[in-house]
Amino acid sequence: MSESELGRKWDRCLADAVVKIGTGFGLGIVFSLTFFKRRMWPLAFGSGMGLGMAYSNCQHDFQAPYLLHGKYVKEQEQ
Amino acid sequence: MVARVWSLMRFLIKGSVAGGAVYLVYDQELLGPSDKSQAALQKAGEVVPPAMYQFSQYVCQQTGLQIPQFFLPISFSQLPAPPKIYFPIRDSWNAGIMTVMSALSVAPSKAREYSKEGWEYVKARTK
Repeated sequence: MSESELGRKWDRCLADAVVKIGTGFGLGIVFSLTFFKRRMWPLAFGSGMGLGMAYSNCQHDFQAPYLLHGKYVKEQEQ
Repeated sequence: MVARVWSLMRFLIKGSVAGGAVYLVYDQELLGPSDKSQAALQKAGEVVPPAMYQFSQYVCQQTGLQIPQFFLPISFSQLPAPPKIYFPIRDSWNAGIMTVMSALSVAPSKAREYSKEGWEYVKARTK
């Protein structure tokens, strides 16, 4: 794995961690306010879940160096 | 009867708010693969600053708060674009590591040079 590819993977991991922890925290806030009487544990639970998902994604990304991250391009009919 | 209907309504409102939040997360694929999360973060970085700027302009218009003209060298239409949120962590981390390592590598020679200069200075002062 080249250094630039490694750097891209780290960037992707950090961005993924920020998004997932924030999403988990946000969902925790919503559920805490709506169903759980403003307790703190949904926030911790959501943040922890987001962190765990991000860690799992990063681990998979680093341990599978030969998988290419591409995107689908629809074929245009002539 | 009314209390029961009201508690049912409250439950439905809370359920729809929570369900909407869950659907939004599912629709934007925020808890999906890392590619989608990175794209979502980039999109948020492009959308949020102009939205905040427009919201602040709307609040100023509604509340009548205005910055006095003599404090502004330019008019509102000529204000520069909001800054883009982009912090290259990889570049600044690498630059930081290289700076620290180069400082450590020149530290002994620099320390010898400064101590020699200090010794010369003390010798000159005591003469």
